[in-house]
Amino acid sequence: MASTGPISESEIDLVVNGRTCQLAVRHHWTLLDVLREELDLTGAKKGCDRGECGACTVLLDGAPVYSCQLLVMQVAGRQVRTIEGLSSNGVLDPVQQSFLDHDGGQCGYCTPGFVLAAKGLLETNPNPTDDEIRRALSGNLCRCNAYARIIESVRVLALEPIQPEA
Amino acid sequence: MAMTTVGTSAVRRGLREKLTGEADYSADLKLPGMLHGCILRSPHPHAEIQSIDYSQATALPGVHAIVTPFDVPPGRLAPDMAVLDTRVRFVGDEVLAIAADDPDVARRALDLVRVEYQPLPFVLDPEQALKLGCVAIHPQGNLANGQALSLERGDVEKGLADAELVIEGESWIPTHSAAPLEPRAALAAWEGDFLTIWKSSRGVHVDRSALAAALGVPEANIRVVGPYLGGGFGNKDESRLGALTALLAHRAKRPVRVEYSREDEFVAGRVRHAARIKTRVGLTRSGSITAIDTAAVLDTGAYLASGPGVARRAGQGGLYLYECANVRYTATLAYTNRPVAGSYRALGAPQGHFALETLMDRAAEALGMDPLEFRLKNRVKPEGQPGRRESPADQIIDSQPLEGGIPFSSNGLEECLRRGSDAFGWGSPDSGPPPDPAKKRGRGMSMMIYRGGPGSDSSAEVRADRSGRITLITGLMDVGEGATTVLAQMAAEVLGVDCQDIDVVNGDTETTPHAPITAGSAATFSTGTAVVQAASDLRRQILQLGVIGLEAPAERLEIREGFVSVKDDPSRRISLAQVTRRMEPEYLSAKSTITPGSVDYIVNSFGAHFVEVEVDTDTGRVRVVDYVAAHDSGRIINPRAALGQVEGGVFQMLGLALTEELVTDGPTGVTLNGSYLEHKSPTIQDVPEIRVIFTDVADPIGPLGAKALGEVPCAGVAAAIANAVFDAVGIRFQALPLTPDRVLAALASPTDASRGPNAAGG
Repeated sequence: MASTGPISESEIDLVVNGRTCQLAVRHHWTLLDVLREELDLTGAKKGCDRGECGACTVLLDGAPVYSCQLLVMQVAGRQVRTIEGLSSNGVLDPVQQSFLDHDGGQCGYCTPGFVLAAKGLLETNPNPTDDEIRRALSGNLCRCNAYARIIESVRVLALEPIQPEA
Repeated sequence: MAMTTVGTSAVRRGLREKLTGEADYSADLKLPGMLHGCILRSPHPHAEIQSIDYSQATALPGVHAIVTPFDVPPGRLAPDMAVLDTRVRFVGDEVLAIAADDPDVARRALDLVRVEYQPLPFVLDPEQALKLGCVAIHPQGNLANGQALSLERGDVEKGLADAELVIEGESWIPTHSAAPLEPRAALAAWEGDFLTIWKSSRGVHVDRSALAAALGVPEANIRVVGPYLGGGFGNKDESRLGALTALLAHRAKRPVRVEYSREDEFVAGRVRHAARIKTRVGLTRSGSITAIDTAAVLDTGAYLASGPGVARRAGQGGLYLYECANVRYTATLAYTNRPVAGSYRALGAPQGHFALETLMDRAAEALGMDPLEFRLKNRVKPEGQPGRRESPADQIIDSQPLEGGIPFSSNGLEECLRRGSDAFGWGSPDSGPPPDPAKKRGRGMSMMIYRGGPGSDSSAEVRADRSGRITLITGLMDVGEGATTVLAQMAAEVLGVDCQDIDVVNGDTETTPHAPITAGSAATFSTGTAVVQAASDLRRQILQLGVIGLEAPAERLEIREGFVSVKDDPSRRISLAQVTRRMEPEYLSAKSTITPGSVDYIVNSFGAHFVEVEVDTDTGRVRVVDYVAAHDSGRIINPRAALGQVEGGVFQMLGLALTEELVTDGPTGVTLNGSYLEHKSPTIQDVPEIRVIFTDVADPIGPLGAKALGEVPCAGVAAAIANAVFDAVGIRFQALPLTPDRVLAALASPTDASRGPNAAGG
């Protein structure tokens, strides 16, 4: 049942895609809600809002996390990277490009989450095996079941390790 | 004819936008002043709403509108579904909706609503629901659609009497949810009497008609836009979402967005019909089939939705997959106080094929025949079923006919069986015993037939503007499967341009001609037929314009790689833009509306699947270790997208076969597992390596040779897996899914536990 008490708010600094924004947030808001509703970064999707599907995956200090499972208060001052911050000046990140080249998505709702989960994997393990790819992406659901194309999209990158960004 | 664009894997349209986060889905949209709507759902499986006190809710600051059953327009969303009803029919049925400044306030307001219910007796089992004296869920009773479906070709009783052997079976398929990753959402805004609504949709034109009827607003005053759709699989929409969102926005005089939660989507979305199917097959000792008799009882839940179509599709396998003069199919759709069953990818075909293809495996076993040999012998041949055509000669043949005597436009079933079994290595030993003796391996197969392709009347318009740019306009929704990619390739093929040079306008009632829902695997064939026709007409117009510039008659001209050129002198060519610059109107246009199909042939798609499983007899876990899927879907327009359809369809049905069941609690009617953790869908760790084979033979009727694909691979997956499990452990499972619990119980007591929940004998 929703609380009937007063709603508490605070001002926080949120660092998203390298830019710091000052925001007044309600304490119970999740990072996902703030990204979508306050910052209009809707690439992170609300597939379940309960940590089951991975459609809301973003990178927090470089590691993939479910943004629906973090209160925004927990991430104040930390580096949040969303799908909108992955490509620059219209040039796709190699992970995005590989998903495009290998048809690593159908309806696309899970796609930003998978791309960021794969990005997080490749940053720490530039040459993963198929098993490592499957394990790293097993927290993301794709109901079109484009899994074979997703594995292919990541596997190809593993052959040629991508350069970590400067 | 050599193809240049067809047969190439053009990049999926919109994928780039999906990869960057630019692609907007319904829940991503906002408008200035937008409110957030929330829906109150029934906690009772069956009750009459006596009264609603919402005074505290509407007094809450920030609440702007409410919609209740006592103040909705009298129109209906479907014959059995009001916009809101004082009778609630399942736990999760819509009771009322509230719009407020933000979701927090809206949810608080819902908590302040007091609803007085008069609980009624309820029924969760379809067979109980059909018994005399059972509480009626709808005024006309629980037999949905008013009557059972009953179809017979030949004389089944005679066929069974003539049989030397009769094998009987009973199968139970559970309710499961497609659970598309996008929970449905809608955003509605009114300007005066005009409504614009952006919503999760599988067909904007059909949604508009439904909204117009429900709200009592002329269709001309409603614009429905389908943004990117986060997975359809048949179940978006048929729900009350659009109507409630529109009413909230009308009352609040502000835009309103409503989003389903994940649990809403599981419970109040649309699910696959649970089915109990009884089958009988009559056989001669030499292995011929004398009769096939199928009787299905399907649970349509609280409302009918697409139940009749599902019921028909559940019968197609029994009526048409095997050559047989005497076949019968009866289907009864029952209302229950359970979540609403609607269309879910392949409709009733997975249910029907599970019953049929496990039965035929038993038939082969009883005859001492190899399952592949039995199917090769008895499969329906290209000439179709025995019998005499009854349809008038000038009538387009239903692609799911009952009558015999009509050939298929193409039938690659034999090739699917032969090439699939070769690739799989059917008949050779399986990949060897696993080192752990508790793990047993086995192999199984199934074949499948699917009505698809010819759907409803379909339209397309193709335009060329003065800059030479081509635009394809269709009312169809791309539900994520890639319809717009494939249709653009077809237009590009006809017009001789690169498909990247074609813009597609679709999924908006204001800018596109009427279109059916994207369903029944009909888009490529039906809308594709209209696209090819319109593009051919436009091509003719362009060539006519080229006559002046090239000083050659139109018959000697062609369009290649974006240039109009002289066929026998390709050096004489001018760009499309140079040609279209000359035209008088703003743009050239060609429109086509077609009734898809053929007066001479049945158009069907076929497939054969081969699977190896490993059953862990200690844990009961079934693991798929190898899978081959061979398909005849005519000529493949986009091989990579087609591959994704088959892989995706097979993997999605691993859920039905092994893990997914939406469970309703008997004493309360509550859905117990409306979440991804508990209604377990396959993850990337659960899917096997899979090899996909396409016969890739052009169909003479299909546009550029194409037939239906999207749903076809779903039909036979559960059957093939169950047959492989039998090969591994010697148990014929009659009920799905083959969860570790069910497998372990069956290993302990093979006669009881392999059956469905109501047939287990207590």
